[in-house]
Amino acid sequence: MGEGLKWERKPGSYPEPKIIKSTITGEPKKVYPPIEPEYDSDSSTEEDPNRVGRIPMHWYDDLPHIGYDINGKRILRPAKGDELDKFLAATEDPTSWMSGFDHTSQKDTQLTSQELDLIRRLQDAEVPDASYNPYEDTVEWFTGEGKQEIMPLTARPEPKSRWQPSKWEKQKILKIVRLIRAGRIVPNKPKSKEPQWYSLWSTEAETRRPPPLTAPKVPLPKHAESYNPPEEYLPDQEETEKYDDLSDEDKVKTYLPKKYDSLRHVPAYEHFIHERQNRLLDLYLAPRIRRVKLNINPDSMLPSLPSPQSLRPFPVFEALKMSGGGNSRARCVSVSPDGVWTVSGDEDGIVRLWETFVGREAARWKLGKRVGAVEWCPRKDVSYFLVGVEDEVFAFMPPYLPPAVESATLDVLVPRNPPQPIGEQTDKSVKWSQESISFKQSASTFSAPLIVVGLPPGAGMPKQITFHRRGDYFATVSSAEGHNAIWIHQLSKRHSQSPFKKIKGMIQRVLFHPNKPHFFVATQRYVSIYDLSAQKLLKTLYTGSRWISSMDIHPTGDHLIVGGYDKKLMWFDLDLGNKPYKVLRYHTKAIRSVAFSPTYPLFASSSDDGTIQIFHARVYSDLMTDALIVPLKVLRGHAITDGLGVLELRFTAGLGTCWLVSAGADGEVRVWCN
Amino acid sequence: MGKETKKGTKGPNSKYITRTKAIRKLQISLNDFRRLCILKGIVPREPPSRKKANHGNSAPTSFYHIKDIAFLAHEPVIQKLRDHKIFLRRMSRAMGKQEWGRAKALEENRPTYKLDHIVKERYPTFIDAIRDLDDAICCVVLGASLSQHRRIPKADLEDCARLSAEWQLYVTHTRALKKTFLSIKGIYYQAEVMGETVTWVAPYQFMQKIPMDVDFRVMRSFLEFYKTLLGFAFYKLYSDAGLVYPPPLDLKKDAMGGGVDAYRLQPVGGPTSSMDVDAKVNGNKKKKVDLGDGKVLTSKQVQKTIAAMEVEDEEEEGEASAPLDDALPSTEEFIPQPSKTSATDPSSSNLITLHALANLPTSTSRSTKIFEPYVFFISRESPRHILEFVVKSFGGVVGWPITCGSGSPIENEDDERVTHVIIDRPLPDPMSEVDKERRRKKKYVQPQWVVDCVNAGKILLENAYAQGKTLPPHLSPFNAEGDGAYDPLAPEEDEDFNMAPPQPEEKSKKRHRRGKKAAAAAAATAAALQVSNPTDADAVRKAELEAERLGIEPAEFDKVLEKAAATNQGGEEGESEGASEENMAKMLLSSKKRKLYNLMKRTNARKEDEKVRLQQKKIEIAKQKKRTGV
Repeated sequence: MGEGLKWERKPGSYPEPKIIKSTITGEPKKVYPPIEPEYDSDSSTEEDPNRVGRIPMHWYDDLPHIGYDINGKRILRPAKGDELDKFLAATEDPTSWMSGFDHTSQKDTQLTSQELDLIRRLQDAEVPDASYNPYEDTVEWFTGEGKQEIMPLTARPEPKSRWQPSKWEKQKILKIVRLIRAGRIVPNKPKSKEPQWYSLWSTEAETRRPPPLTAPKVPLPKHAESYNPPEEYLPDQEETEKYDDLSDEDKVKTYLPKKYDSLRHVPAYEHFIHERQNRLLDLYLAPRIRRVKLNINPDSMLPSLPSPQSLRPFPVFEALKMSGGGNSRARCVSVSPDGVWTVSGDEDGIVRLWETFVGREAARWKLGKRVGAVEWCPRKDVSYFLVGVEDEVFAFMPPYLPPAVESATLDVLVPRNPPQPIGEQTDKSVKWSQESISFKQSASTFSAPLIVVGLPPGAGMPKQITFHRRGDYFATVSSAEGHNAIWIHQLSKRHSQSPFKKIKGMIQRVLFHPNKPHFFVATQRYVSIYDLSAQKLLKTLYTGSRWISSMDIHPTGDHLIVGGYDKKLMWFDLDLGNKPYKVLRYHTKAIRSVAFSPTYPLFASSSDDGTIQIFHARVYSDLMTDALIVPLKVLRGHAITDGLGVLELRFTAGLGTCWLVSAGADGEVRVWCN
Repeated sequence: MGKETKKGTKGPNSKYITRTKAIRKLQISLNDFRRLCILKGIVPREPPSRKKANHGNSAPTSFYHIKDIAFLAHEPVIQKLRDHKIFLRRMSRAMGKQEWGRAKALEENRPTYKLDHIVKERYPTFIDAIRDLDDAICCVVLGASLSQHRRIPKADLEDCARLSAEWQLYVTHTRALKKTFLSIKGIYYQAEVMGETVTWVAPYQFMQKIPMDVDFRVMRSFLEFYKTLLGFAFYKLYSDAGLVYPPPLDLKKDAMGGGVDAYRLQPVGGPTSSMDVDAKVNGNKKKKVDLGDGKVLTSKQVQKTIAAMEVEDEEEEGEASAPLDDALPSTEEFIPQPSKTSATDPSSSNLITLHALANLPTSTSRSTKIFEPYVFFISRESPRHILEFVVKSFGGVVGWPITCGSGSPIENEDDERVTHVIIDRPLPDPMSEVDKERRRKKKYVQPQWVVDCVNAGKILLENAYAQGKTLPPHLSPFNAEGDGAYDPLAPEEDEDFNMAPPQPEEKSKKRHRRGKKAAAAAAATAAALQVSNPTDADAVRKAELEAERLGIEPAEFDKVLEKAAATNQGGEEGESEGASEENMAKMLLSSKKRKLYNLMKRTNARKEDEKVRLQQKKIEIAKQKKRTGV
C-alpha cells in the first residue's frame, strides 16, 4: 500500500506518519513506514528464540533434540554442563542467584528485575501488582457539603419503630426497675458469704422417709494380713502355687500372707485403689438386704428327742437270714398273726413258709406263676394265707397246725355245704372254686390251694391283698386299670364285688380301716377315704408325693403313713385335715414299703437304698398333743440288686416280740430282732 | 365380679423398675443418675422375683424401687443437674462464638448446689453420721496420699489432704485412737468417737500407681458427698471439743513439710491459742520456769493462763490428762469471751449438759496416756506420718530430724529429753563409742514396738524390739473371731497332747492315722504312755520299748495303756452313737432347716480344719527350729 511513499529517516526518532487518502474509502488515513529489520533493530539483535511451543518436554527426554523450529528442523538440546560447571557457574557468575531453569528452552534463564520484584511481593504477601495502591484516599461521593443524597433509594415509607420508643421494652425495663426498687434485684451483688459449715444437727430432722439401710462395714484385718505375721500363717510352696493358679474371681483373699523383717521393707500395696474402688462400687451398686445371721450352735436346731435307748424295744439287729437259694427277688412277705410263721413269695412263683424263730423252711409251693402278694388272715382261730398270682388268688393252709385250728380253718375254707352265691349280687366275672377234696388228711391238705378265686380276665396280677380286721373280707389290688383294679371279696359268702364303677388313675394301694367301715384307696397322688356303708367319699388326702408306693394305717385308725417313690414319707393325722402332718425325707431312694407295728408304737419304712428305717411313733389319745416321731435305727443288710432294695416289710405280733420281717430284691427274707 | 386387673400392675413385683426405665423417667443422663444415686444413697433393690419384675425378661438388670425413684424425682439437686447441662451448652456456644462477655456472665451465674440437706436426710442424727464415717475417712485418706493426676482435679486432692489432717488432728486432740495395725495393705487405725468405733486404713506413703481401669467419676461423686459429710461432722466434733473449725493453716509450716502440724487447733473464743508441740514439751516439765526455747515465764502470763483456764474449765475437765498448757495463750491480747456458737449449739456453751458429759472423750483411762512420760525421736527412715500420729494420740512427745519436715520440737537425737529413739535400720557395725553411749542413755526400738504397745494398752519391754533384733510377730488387734478361733499366742501345750486329735468330730479313719502318728511321736518322750490308739499293736510295741528304755515300770505302763484303751473305746463308741443320733434327729428337720444345719456344720468344720492346720504347722515349725537350733 505505502510502497509508493518515501519516508526520510532521521536517526533517533520515530518516523512521522503520512496522511494519505484511502483508495478504498476515500477517507484520509495515517500510513506508517514499514519496519526494516536492521542490525540495530530490536528483533534482529535477538537470538532466534526456542519456538517448540507448549508441549510436555518429557516427550523428548530420550532424544537429542527438544522439538522443531518453524521450518521443521530439529532444535538440538542445548549443552548442559556437568556438576563442576554448575558449581563454577554458581561461584563465578554473580547473577547466578537470579537465574532459573527454563523448561521450554531447557536452559538456565536469568530473571528480570520485574520478575524478581514480583516474586518478592508474593513472598511478602503483598499485592503482586506494584502499581496498585491499597491505601488510596477515600473519595466522598455522597457525603460532605453539597453532595448529600436527595432522593431515597427505595420508595418504602420509614417504619414507625425508627422514631418511636418500644412499648414492650419499656414494660420490661419497668419491671426490672420495680424489682430493683423492691430490693429483689441487687445489681452487682456480692456473692453471699454464708458460712460453709454450721451446726447441721442442731435442729430436728424432718423424718419424711426412713434413712436407707447402712452398708455393712468392711471386715477387719486378721493376723494373716500383718506385715510380720506368725510363721504358721505364711503359705508354703504348694499353697502359693495353688493361689497363683486361681483366677482373680476365684480368689477368696486378695493377698497372700507375707513376712517382712522390718517396716521399712514393706512396699506399697498394689491393689489399694482397686479395693477402695470395689468398696465404693459395692456401696452404690449392691442391693442391700437385711439378713439375720444365725450365730447359734447348729446342734441347737435339732429337735430334742428322747434317747432311742429309752424307747426300747425295737428291732436292732439281724437275727435270721432266710434264703430260698434262688436268685429271684422275694417280692412279698407276710407274718402269721401269732408270729410263728412267715410266708414269702418270689418272682419265680415259689411260695415259702418259714418258721420265724428258727428260719427253717417248713413248706414250699411251686405255683409256676409270678407271685404278686401274700397275706395272712388276721383271724387267730383259723390259719390260712392268700397268695395272689396272675389273675388268681389262692388260699393255702399251712401244715403243722393244731387239730382244732386245722378243722376250724377247713371249716372256713372248704365247708361241707358251700354257700351259694346270691344271684343278683354276684359278679359273674369272678369265679370262686373250691377244692372238692374236703377233710383230707392234713399231710396233703396244704399241698394244693383250698380256694381259687379267679379274677376276671385282664385284671392282671394282684399286687396287694389286704384283709379286713375280722378276716372275712379281703380286697385285692391288681395292676389293671379301671374298675377291675380293686375287688372286695367276702370269703364266707364266696362273693366278690368291685366297689367302684369307674375309677380315675392307677390304684396303688387299698386299706380297710381297723374299726370303722372305711376304705382307703391310694391312687398315684391322692388317698381317698370312702365310707363303705354309706357308699360315699369321705375325704381326699393330698399327699404331696408324686407317686405313692405304699400305705399303712395305725392300729388306732387315726393316723396313716404313706410312702412314695419320690423318697418321701407322709404322716397323716386323720383328724387334722387333708394335708400331711409331717413329711419326712431321709431315704436316698424310693420308699417301697411302710408298716406300723401292731403292738408297739413303732413304724418302719424300707427303701430301694437297701435300708430299713425304724421310727418310734407315739400317738396320744389327747387331741391337743401331736404325735411324737423319733427316728430310732437304720437297719442295713439287704443287698441292692438291679437297683431294688427292700421290697416289703412286716412287723410280727404276738409272743411279746416286736420283730421285723423283710423281703429283699436279693432273694432273702430277713428277721430283725430287738 | 370385680374389675379385671392388668397383669403386672399389682403385687410386690410391680414395685420395681429397671435402671433404664428409671433414667427415662427422671429424664437425666446415666452419669447424672449414677451421681444422684451416690449422693442420695439410693441403691438397687432385689425384687422377690427378677423375672416377674421385668415382665418375663430374665436378662441381668438392676432394679430400683419405684418409691426410691419418686424420691429422687423430688430432689432439688436433680434440677440443678439439668441446669448444669444447659449451662454447659450455653457456655460452649458462647465460647464457640467468641462471645467472651456472655461467657463471663454465664460463668458468674454458674449453677451450683449444696448437699447439706442430703447429709441431714441421710443421717438424721449425728450419731448416724459417725457410724457411717469409715468409708468417708478411708476415701479421704486415700485421696490425701495420691499425687497429682490428670484424672483427679487438684482441688479435690487438696481437700482430701485437708480433711485427712483435720481428722488426725481431732483424733490426736481427743485421744480417740484405740488400735493400730500395720498390715501389708496399709495401716489400719481404729478410733472411738462418741462410743462408736471408726476404722480406717491409710496406705503406706509411696507413689500410688493409679490403675487405668478405675472409674474416677464414681470416686469423685463419692468424694463430693464425703467432703460435705465430713465438713459438717468435723464442725460438730470440733465445736463439741471447744475448737474452731476449720482449723487455720499455717502456710509457712505447710510449705516446710509440717504435715498435720501445719494446722493449728484454736479454742472457740480465743483468737489464737498455741496448741503446738512446744507447749506440750514444756508441759512435761512444769516445774521449770525456763521454757525450752529460752522464754522465761512471767507472772503476768501465769495469771492469764489461770484466767484462761477458768473460762475453759468445762472443756478441760473432761480431759484432765491433757497438758494445761494446751490453753496457754501465746499472744497478749487474750480476752475471755463467750462462745459464738453457744446460741445455736448447746454442747459448746459453758453449761455442761448431760449430752456434753456423755460425749467427753474417755481419755481418763490409763491406756490413752501410756506414752505420756516419754519423749520420742523418730529417725529419718521410720515413717513419721504413722508414728507421729500414734505417739501423739497416746500422749507422747515426738521429735524428728529436720530432713523429715519442719516443726519438730526436738531436732536432735542426742537431746537429753529424748527417752526413746524409734529406729528402723540394722545395728551399726562396728559400734562406735558414741553409739554405745547413746544406747546406754536411751532406748532404741523398732517402730513395731510403738504399735504393739498401743494395742496392748501398756508399755511392753523394749528388749524384744531393740534395734537389729528379729521382731516378734505383729498380731492384729481386730482378730476376735470368738473363743473357738486359732490363737497364735496360745501357750504351746505338751507336744504329744497337742498331737492327739483336737476335735472329737473327726472321722475315725483320720483319727486312726493320726493316732498312729501320735503313738510314734509319743515314743520319743517320757510321756510315751499316752498312746491314743491302744489297738494298734505296732504303736503299742514301740511305746512299750520306749517306756522300757526310759525305765518305766511295765505294770505302770500297762495301767496307763488300759486307761488309754478305755477312754479311746468309750470315746469312739459314744462318738458313733452320738453321730448316728444326730443324723437321726436331722431327719426330722424340714428341708430348709436341714440345708441350713448342714451349711453351718460345714462352715464350722472348715474353721476347725483351718485351726488344726495352723496348730500343726506351728508345731512343725517349732520342731524344725529345735532341730536346726540343736
